[in-house]
Order: sequence, then structure tokens, then C-alpha cells
Amino acid sequence: MLKFESVSRVYEDGTKAVSNVSLHIKAGEFCVLLGPSGAGKSTLMNMVNGVVEPSSGSIKLGDLVLNKRNKSTIQRRIGMIHQQLHLVPRLSVLHNVLAGLLPNVGLFRSLIKSFSFEDQRRACQLLSEVGMEEKHLLRRASDLSGGQQQRVAIARAFIPNPEVVLADEPVASLDPAMSRSVLQSLKTAAQQHGATVICTLHQLDYALEFADRIIALRQGEIFFDGHPSKLDEVTQNELYALTEHLPVKLEQVAA
Amino acid sequence: MNSQNKQSKHWQDWELHRAVTPKNLIIIFIVFILLSFSAHNTELDTAAVETSKAVLSVVGIGESQVLDGALRFVSQAFPLQISERTPVNRLDNFDHSNLPLFSYIEKGEEKEYDALTETWTTETTEYLVQPIGYLKKVAIKMWETVEMGFWGTVICIMISLPLGILASQNYTPHRFVYSFTRTWLSFHRAMPELIVALILVLMYGFGPIAGVLALAIHTSGVLGKFFADEIENAPPGPQLALSSSGASAFKVLRYAVFPHVYPAWIAYVQYIFERNIRTATVLGIVGAGGIGMELKGRWDVFDYDHVATILLAIFITVILLEVGSQKLRKNAL
Repeated sequence: MLKFESVSRVYEDGTKAVSNVSLHIKAGEFCVLLGPSGAGKSTLMNMVNGVVEPSSGSIKLGDLVLNKRNKSTIQRRIGMIHQQLHLVPRLSVLHNVLAGLLPNVGLFRSLIKSFSFEDQRRACQLLSEVGMEEKHLLRRASDLSGGQQQRVAIARAFIPNPEVVLADEPVASLDPAMSRSVLQSLKTAAQQHGATVICTLHQLDYALEFADRIIALRQGEIFFDGHPSKLDEVTQNELYALTEHLPVKLEQVAA
Repeated sequence: MNSQNKQSKHWQDWELHRAVTPKNLIIIFIVFILLSFSAHNTELDTAAVETSKAVLSVVGIGESQVLDGALRFVSQAFPLQISERTPVNRLDNFDHSNLPLFSYIEKGEEKEYDALTETWTTETTEYLVQPIGYLKKVAIKMWETVEMGFWGTVICIMISLPLGILASQNYTPHRFVYSFTRTWLSFHRAMPELIVALILVLMYGFGPIAGVLALAIHTSGVLGKFFADEIENAPPGPQLALSSSGASAFKVLRYAVFPHVYPAWIAYVQYIFERNIRTATVLGIVGAGGIGMELKGRWDVFDYDHVATILLAIFITVILLEVGSQKLRKNAL
């Protein structure tokens, strides 16, 4: 489905964000990318999306090799959920979701915001699947709570029927209960639409709970890749140390 | 620790802040000298003298040219001219049995002394008096002025919207287009309405169209720059989210930028509209239509009562507009 072949990325200032990563992600998998800040999770994702270009190596979606020419074709087959949500604050929930369909809508129809009832019904269906109600439909995105905004972002990512959905820290700013329910919505939606999900997280607990496959990164390199049940105690502790207990470690350093 | 102490000064020797220094005083002195030259050039000193004279003459000391001028206007401005009195023989196709609404005929006698025959002749003239005739005329002219401001704003938006998009750094098709449109917009801004109107009157003749175009040309320079700056300052996140899902630049502009800049644009457009109407009132002075033409004509023949009516009309219109647009703005946001 999605193949990374010895992909590396070096930024202009010389930081090696991702080095020599090879991965094969199967269709319908719920993958979680784990790792501390700066491990290269976001870079890896942005490379799938065409926002960042790999310095070397290649990325294949199905049979298509990602390059500049087919960037927009590939982008249409990929849904994206961003860390800061990136909803349009002054636009209604409905139109925020429908904005995910923009590449397929004619220029004039998009200008006067005229979407077909079919598309609108689909948006409603997705919104109800992620747990939104009708009363939210025409409210502005800025009036919603953080969890609700994240649900709208999930609906927007799924509306063009993507093969792959990339979620960049979808629960970074939510409390634990809300995080679980948002991740559950994401997983249910992915199962219903048969989409592959690549999701970055920095809480190991959520990864253990929801992931079909955990890919752990450290300084741009993979150091664990497999089903959560295969995670041995040593790696698990190491992951804990890298992710959740990072603040504690910092305190120790300070002391 | 000791080596550090040796390098840095003891706190008692630290350089402190001084508000008043010789350098400051010299700068203030030079600025004062320069300003006083400039003030003399603009006759601010004369203004001070004349104004003090006016204040003194109010309490009965001396005479004042300023006060005379003000009194000359005020004494003739009241009562305001509301009715219109026209000699009947100047009207074409006048029908005595079919007078306009509320109007009546007044007979005026004019005695004339003929020095050659040493006789008095009496000439009777009939006047058609319309009680609110002049007020009506001013109202119609004022409405024309508001319409000028409106269409000036509409054309201004039509010019500045595409130019604004082309002149925004993140949506311009090319760097060259960007600098070209930016220069074009500053060129529009740099041409004052009155001067543009003068030229347009030569081109299109007397009438409101010259005024409308003059307003549109000048203000599109201002509005286009505002539009472009707002587009540049829109948050990049939503734009990135939509463009990375494959939406074209135009659609991103429509869905991620436009909803964000809309309130600010409405505020700018409203400001431009109000400003256009205020400016439209004076554009008539150069013959570009609106109430300014009437104002200039009446002023030149010292009809200060008519002028006062016009000024009142302008005043009321501007106030109404401000109130109206504030309400509208609250609804739009």
C-alpha cells in the first residue's frame, strides 16, 4: 500500500530529520508513530503528503511513486489531520468538512459555496459517525471545544474517501478521556471506510490501546516496528522514558 | 568568582540613565527652531494674532477681520433658504391652472425710475413659490452625491479586489506581477481625487460620472493595499491544510483566507464608502457632479442662506451614514 524505500531527509541547516527509513504499510492498518519531539515523526508524515520532499529514497503509494508531477493526484488520495487542527475558524462546521472535497468541486460552485446534497449528506454522516450532532452543523468552528474541533478535523480528512489518513498528534491538546474518545472515533471511521491510518502520538498508553502496529522512532531512525503485543519490556520502558517521562528526566537533569 | 568580579564594575560605578542631557537639549533646541520657521511659513503666527483679536473684539475691544468674516456668513445664513422663488416668465410651458403641489403664485411689483422721462413705471412680475422647493433640490443633489459615493465604492471594489489578490505576496502568480500591481496601487493612491476629477471633467464633461471615476481610482489604491495586506496576514495553518489536500490556490483563497479576512474587509469598505461620500460633496467644486456644484455656485454669488441649507444637508447625511454603517457593521460581524 504505502512503501518507504530507504528514505532520508536532511534539512538545509544540516539536521538529519529522517535517515534511511524503509517501511511497508499494509492497507487498512492503524499505525502509530511514536517518539520524542524531534524524532522525525512529522517529517516522515509530511513526506507522504508532499509537503516535504525526501532528500533521498522514494515513497510509493500503491504503484505511484511520489514526485512533483503527481503530487496533487497523491494529495487527493490522502486525508490529513493536523496538530493545530487548522480548521477555518469563521467557517461553519459543515463547510469546514466540505472543504475537504474542494479538489473535486467545480470552480464556480466552490465560489458560491454550492455543494450538492449528496456531498452534504455525506458530511452529515461522517460528522455523526465521529459523534457530532445536528445542532453543531452550522456553528462556527471557532465556537467548538477542542475535542469537537478535532472530530470535525477527522470528518474533513475522511470526506474525500482517502486511502491513507495522516494524523499528526491528533490528541496533543486534549485531556485523557477526550483523547481516548477522539482516537476511538478515528479508529472507527478508519475501519468503516477501509482507510489506512498513520498517526503520530507521544503517549505510549494510547498507542498500546489503539494501534495495529507501532513504529517507534529515535533520532530519525526506526528502533521498533511491530504489533503492540510484540513490544518487550525493555523496549517498552525505553519508550516510556523517551515519551511520557521526558519531563521527569528533565527535572533530574536540572537537579 | 573572583576573576568575574574583577572584570565587571562595582554596582556603585554602573552607568545610570539620565533623562536630561546636553545632547537632548541641543536636539530639542534645533527642532524648535526648525518648527518655528515652518510655522511662520504656514502663517500660524498670524492665525494666533487674528484669533486673539477675534476673542478681544467679542468682549468689545478693537476690531477683528476674522470675526467680521464669520459674522458676514452667519448673518446671511439665517434663516436657511428652504423655499424656491422663480419668476414665472422664466419657466417654459407654465400652466396657471396646474401648479405643482403646495406651491402658489406671488405677485411682486418692481418700481423703476426712468431718468429721461422722469416717470416711475411699475412692473408686476409673477413668481412661482414652492415652499420646500430648494430643500427638495438640495435633497435630490445630496442623494446624487450619496449615489456617487456608492458607485465610486462599487467600482473601487471591482478594481481593488483582483489587484489586491495579485498584490499579495502569497497569492501572486509571479514576483513581477506582485511588484507591478503594488506600484500600480501606489500610483492610484498618489493621485488625489480633486486632481483626477479635474482631468476626468475634461474627458467626460461636467457631471457625476467624472466624480464617480475619480473616487474609484483614488480609493482603489487604498483599498487594494488593505486587501493585499490582509491576505498576507491570514493565518497559514488552514491554508496549508486545504492546499495539502489538493485544493487549488483559488479555492484555498475562497475557503481558508476569505472567511478570515471578511470582517476586516467589510470594515475597510465601509470606511471607504463613508469617505467617498464626504469627498463626493466637494468634488462638485471642479464640476464633477453632486452637491458640490450647487455649493460652489451659491457661494460664488454670496447666497449664504442657500449655502447654509447645503451645509446642513451634508452634515445630516454624514451623521446618518455613520450611525447606519455602525449598525450594519454590528450585524455583519
